[in-house]
Amino acid sequence: MNLRKKSYTPIYLAGAALRGRPFSRRGGGHGVPPPKNPRRLNLPERVRRQPVFRFAAIWEAFLVATSSLRANKLRTALTLVGIVVGVSAVIAVVTIIKGLDKTVATTFSSQGSTVFTVSKNPQIIKSREEFIKFNKRKDVTPDDEDAIARLCTTCWRVGIAANAVQTVKYADQTSENVRIRGVTPTTMFDVDGVTIDAGRIWTEGEGGSGRDVCVVGPDVLKNLFAGASADRAVGQEIRVAGRLYQIIGVLEPLGSIFGFSRDNVVYIPYVSYQKAFGARNSVVIFIQVQTAEQLEAAEDQVRTIMRNRRGRTFGDQDDEGFALETQDVFLDLYGKATSNIYLVTIGVAAVSLVVGGIVVMNIMLVSVTERTKEIGIRKAVGARQKDILTQFLIEAVTVTAIGGAFGVFTGFGLAYLISALIGFPLLINVASAVLGVGVSSVVGIISGLWPAWRAARLDPIEALRAE
Amino acid sequence: MSDVTLASPQVETFLNPESHVNGHHNPAALISMRQIWKTYEMGAEKVHALHGVSFDVHKGEYIAIIGPSGSGKSTLMNLIGCLDTASQGQYWLNGKNVSEMDDDELARIRNQEVGFVFQTFNLLARATALHNVELPLIYGGVGSAQRHEMAKQALSAVDLTDRVMHRPNELSGGQRQRVAIARALVNHPSILLADEPTGALDTHTSMEIMDLFGRLHDEGNTIIVVTHEHDIAARAHRILSIRDGLIEKDEKIK
Repeated sequence: MNLRKKSYTPIYLAGAALRGRPFSRRGGGHGVPPPKNPRRLNLPERVRRQPVFRFAAIWEAFLVATSSLRANKLRTALTLVGIVVGVSAVIAVVTIIKGLDKTVATTFSSQGSTVFTVSKNPQIIKSREEFIKFNKRKDVTPDDEDAIARLCTTCWRVGIAANAVQTVKYADQTSENVRIRGVTPTTMFDVDGVTIDAGRIWTEGEGGSGRDVCVVGPDVLKNLFAGASADRAVGQEIRVAGRLYQIIGVLEPLGSIFGFSRDNVVYIPYVSYQKAFGARNSVVIFIQVQTAEQLEAAEDQVRTIMRNRRGRTFGDQDDEGFALETQDVFLDLYGKATSNIYLVTIGVAAVSLVVGGIVVMNIMLVSVTERTKEIGIRKAVGARQKDILTQFLIEAVTVTAIGGAFGVFTGFGLAYLISALIGFPLLINVASAVLGVGVSSVVGIISGLWPAWRAARLDPIEALRAE
Repeated sequence: MSDVTLASPQVETFLNPESHVNGHHNPAALISMRQIWKTYEMGAEKVHALHGVSFDVHKGEYIAIIGPSGSGKSTLMNLIGCLDTASQGQYWLNGKNVSEMDDDELARIRNQEVGFVFQTFNLLARATALHNVELPLIYGGVGSAQRHEMAKQALSAVDLTDRVMHRPNELSGGQRQRVAIARALVNHPSILLADEPTGALDTHTSMEIMDLFGRLHDEGNTIIVVTHEHDIAARAHRILSIRDGLIEKDEKIK
């Protein structure tokens, strides 16, 4: 007590007291050495700055966010569900469709936009009425092909193809559902975009005389010759619809589209096809032009030729009596289908992100309420409103960004599974991953804003009183 | 020694109560409150927690604020600590007019000029002692290396060197309060404000904590303790008795 009495000279010591050196003046003034206190607070100079952007406070906010998320694992997981579903749906669908796009693009570019067809029935029949109407049409015959080849000046390659699906046999091996494609002339291989891997294609002489020769796709080789090399299959005879065909060539693989292999095919000369399947079938005429710019002109010429042959005059819109189509019909159909899928997915994703956002907002409000005391403590030691706001915003964004990252991974995982099942290339798109995490972070900011604002606006005294 | 004390201008102010009500703040004082009112609106009714309180606190003082519950002493405490703002009146802290400050400036004052010690310690439950002590420095924008250093020194000053990485639930009540004191002191505040600092502690621990306050005062800190216990108040050098929102008595006891 005596010591304290002596030491009480506050005003004269004011300056020194602030710096924590109260003894200097007292000691000097009375010639008494200052009492030694080994436990004296001896801190570095106090810090008197408060910058606008404080990395320490932001890092603190991030640490607090992650530790509070760790402390409530189940809650965090449940909070994430909505975001994960939304993001993974988008990622999966975008990835799958990108993969399909790639497949479709390569598939149709093998025929390209320089090829169009003339046939009795269009490839897509939309109604029963159409079906009846198309069945009344005259068959498209080799004579039509002959006329087009003679009269169409812009046409480059003209050919015939007829298709049948048959079981193919070799020794005791059978392969079902093989596409038998009767074609003439041999330029049809070029029109179809297939190339020879081993052996050769038939000559026009062999084709015209109806020799029973064939060129097979790699799937036939795989199914009937147990994957033997292409060279060994050449020269063997396979049985199709009761007739024997000698393999003279094997094609390079084309791959599959939508899970259907395009390599399960046997090409035979059209004359030979007629012998096996009859001459009374309608054929498909394939026309190829040299450059895409000529396509329209060639289509016009072919349409005129065919109308004349069907006895129709220009302007008769009732029924042309034939179908003239490019591969665009597939692309159009595909485009419509995928854009619908995109729309549905965006809808699903939007709904789950909104729901996810509401869940995050709700959880953040709970979190703010639970941690009112903590907010009070932080404010009491000098946290500003913007510090508290930042802390809770960072927490909300951390939750949703983690959800977004999970969503990206599950989305890619889903796309991987589906691509493995259906068989199309998996294109991991970095942009969609960034977008997924980005969008979910934005959801975090939006849904965290109100709870964070409420936290920031808390009265420090009220907050400290909370339990 | 007593003549030195009497010679101080603080005592002159003390002896001349007129200076409290003339509306001018005392530029020599650390805290200068003039005609501070705090009014709460409860529905249509207005409740006055403080009825025009005026007083000065000088650097290095050790003051106890006492009064029955509901007297307004906690309100006064919150105003001094800038946790709350007055409805009316002027408050100068370290020569700055706090009554005109916005939220950010008040936060800065709480961060740098005031160190709070609460009855219930108010430590972050999930954080270590070290992190709790670092908290004011985090909001003060102190770099992490310097922060660790300062916080460790503050903890060693309250004899908790071996409890640095403990969480509050691993510490005794007295140890928790010492962590809180270290937190209050770490940024060298101008005033140390303690609101019933021994209210949640047993007698023995209370005495230890009050000894610590005595030591801190000896080292030059300005301390204001709110209490309703007379033996705690008796350790101070000046007692402000609050009753019904007014200073009933302002006595120097040492």
